[in-house]
Amino acid sequence: MAGLELSTLPQQLVNGILLGSIYALIALGYTMVYGVLKLINFAHGEVFMIGAYAALFASWGLGYTPNNAMSGSNPINLLIMLLASMTLCGLLGVLIERFAYRPMRNQPRIASLITAIGVSLLLQYGGQLFLPSSPAPNIDAKVNPYQDNITIPLRPVDGTLVTAAKQLEAKQLETKAAFDAYLTRTKESPFQLSVAGQPLKKAAQDAERDLRTAEGKAEASGLSIRLPKGQMIMLVTTVVLMALLNFLVMHTKPGRAMRAASHDFDAASLMGINVNSTITFTFLIGSALAGAGAMMNATFLSGTKIDTFFGMLPGVKAFVAAVLGGIGNIPGAVLGGILMGLAETLVVWAGYDSYRDAIAFIVLIIVLLFKPGGLLGSNKVEKV
Amino acid sequence: MNRSLFSAALLATVLGITAVGCTGGGETGKEKTGDPAPTAPAGGTTAVRPEPTGEGVKAEGDTIKIGIVGSLSGDQKPWGEDSIEGGKMAVEEFNAAGGVDGKKVELLVGDSASKAEQAKSAAEKLISEGVIGIVGEVASGHTIQIAKSAFQKAIPVVAIGATKTTLADEGTNVTRVCYTDDFQGPVMAKFAFDELGLRKVGVMTDNQQPYSQGLSKSFSDTFKKLGGEIVGEAFYESGQTQFNGQITELSAKKPDGLFLSGYFTEVGPIAQQVRQAGMKDVKLLGGDGWDSPQLLVSGGDAIIGSYFCNHYNNREDRPEVKQFLEVWKKAHGGKEPGTTMAALGYDATKLMLDGLKRAASLDSKALIAAINETENFPGVSGKITLKGANGNPKKRALVVEVRSEKDGFQVFQKAYEADEVK
Repeated sequence: MAGLELSTLPQQLVNGILLGSIYALIALGYTMVYGVLKLINFAHGEVFMIGAYAALFASWGLGYTPNNAMSGSNPINLLIMLLASMTLCGLLGVLIERFAYRPMRNQPRIASLITAIGVSLLLQYGGQLFLPSSPAPNIDAKVNPYQDNITIPLRPVDGTLVTAAKQLEAKQLETKAAFDAYLTRTKESPFQLSVAGQPLKKAAQDAERDLRTAEGKAEASGLSIRLPKGQMIMLVTTVVLMALLNFLVMHTKPGRAMRAASHDFDAASLMGINVNSTITFTFLIGSALAGAGAMMNATFLSGTKIDTFFGMLPGVKAFVAAVLGGIGNIPGAVLGGILMGLAETLVVWAGYDSYRDAIAFIVLIIVLLFKPGGLLGSNKVEKV
Repeated sequence: MNRSLFSAALLATVLGITAVGCTGGGETGKEKTGDPAPTAPAGGTTAVRPEPTGEGVKAEGDTIKIGIVGSLSGDQKPWGEDSIEGGKMAVEEFNAAGGVDGKKVELLVGDSASKAEQAKSAAEKLISEGVIGIVGEVASGHTIQIAKSAFQKAIPVVAIGATKTTLADEGTNVTRVCYTDDFQGPVMAKFAFDELGLRKVGVMTDNQQPYSQGLSKSFSDTFKKLGGEIVGEAFYESGQTQFNGQITELSAKKPDGLFLSGYFTEVGPIAQQVRQAGMKDVKLLGGDGWDSPQLLVSGGDAIIGSYFCNHYNNREDRPEVKQFLEVWKKAHGGKEPGTTMAALGYDATKLMLDGLKRAASLDSKALIAAINETENFPGVSGKITLKGANGNPKKRALVVEVRSEKDGFQVFQKAYEADEVK
């Protein structure tokens, strides 16, 4: 495998954090539900999938249909999609809790777990009946007005190399113009040239290649990181949502109820806390966060295809992230998500592309071997 | 596909090192038969194909049963639907012309649901229903499974769009109507080097598709032989949605072109993310796995102006093409087929039916022999000769440019004959 390329490391760290922010949003839902109910909500990945569909339908409703998309967009469209996705996911989460988990609440915990898997499969395969999934649709890139990058230079480029590249530009333009003029004049295809056109084409290609090589060299002399605006918005939104969540849980009344229910379910209900509405609220918030993650994933990573299995792998990875950070622990979920994103990207950086998905589980096994409670979790051994 | 992703993810924890170790380098055991034969002509291998030893199946009853396998759900639905529609069209024409020995042909359809294991069970179901021949599939990974099941029963398989080079080595019962990856890879390498003037190319391979692995290899081999440089290789798996890690690594190598050997389902998002990563002038190239209008939906503006290799073009002047399009349009509300798999499905089915007419008796073993004797069959995708071809006909390949839907999606640029590329 390829040797380690240090020059791409800063960029890959950025890629990893950006990817990790999506995992973090999903992981929050797992961790909140686990914290309160001690239930691993395996249907959470499917809520994420429905969120992506909600964003897709919202984008269609706004006029960005395939092959016929409006050009130009504005942030309001993105906000509408985000709200559509969060609302629908929140509702779905509440419904799942009300009809699938609540009847099982007083049964052994394994019953709830199996119900969760059932709901997950129901949404994956049942969804195929009424959701467009083959061929898999995607949100049109035009809905995203933030296509460009912010470039942050870490080391300036070599000025002489830039000038050298600039000098080649004139020749490239000149030869290209000559070849284009020839094509217009003779109406020949560039790929079925007569003998007269061949040297012109060769000259144009050689000049272009020289220019690109020089440009590449100039670029490689410096070091910069590229922050895609869309994905930066994703990161910022994630951070804001997490801060809001933290405030909600730590400093508000429903949050206190949530913590109380998490601490001791029965005692909390004896103390006059409406446990049912607290749980509903937990599902509402957790699922809405997954919806936000889904909308941003499907929109800002252009061309991402959406099918009914869309939530499966992200769901599994986010679950691992939640366990990694210490399941039930909110900052832990965020840390776990970011670590997962970084691990995945750094594996690619090291040249082991195919280990990308495996790394999630390798990391999980290692952490659980040494710290069974997760990185930020307690090491309290639970009696089963 | 996604189920296998999940199980692959789980498996990987257990088998991580072994599983990845063999695919990571882009070299699998299956590639070996194609490798040590540098003198082999473009278009298949020279390996001796095993004869199926089974007794074969006799056509019983009033109709002759033929099966066709395609994906009616999942990612590859556009191909599955088109190829099956093409197959039905061929059977209708055959029956309208009187069938064979006064018997009509009944076409049974199997759904492979875009998954190799489903392709296998679909083929086995068809075999249990008494088919004497199977047409399909479009994807190489699926066709290998069908071929293995059919081999045991000595039933012929005519593959529609499966281009993996070593496919027909499964047995004499396996043939195809398309070219092979050791032809289309070199075609694209030659086009990239000679026509586009590219010298430094990065390659992205879908490690879950044998098709993609084989194509990347044949492209890279020829491109290096021509004097070009493969500056980097990256790998992904079907179903992946974000490619920033791989793209960052390739981008650092400053390629002037990228060869994306996977299917259109991932190529679209890759193209968008490549452009977003700042590689604005880098040319994108690929194989016939790009062939679906869906590419334009997922690839957006990023994919416009890229090139890929295809089997035929709706704009061709040959009478076979015109006639095919006329009948097709009548049956499909005036619309042209979206993918070339319609024509290849039609060709594959028609070729099998043609074999039926020439077969010494109406059983699967005689049909295998008849199909392997096919000479100058006038297919929509060009003339097909299987006699002495080891199951791999010599076909021409067309390089097309991707344009917007409005501009006709695929615009023909250059044709390569079978002998033109070595």
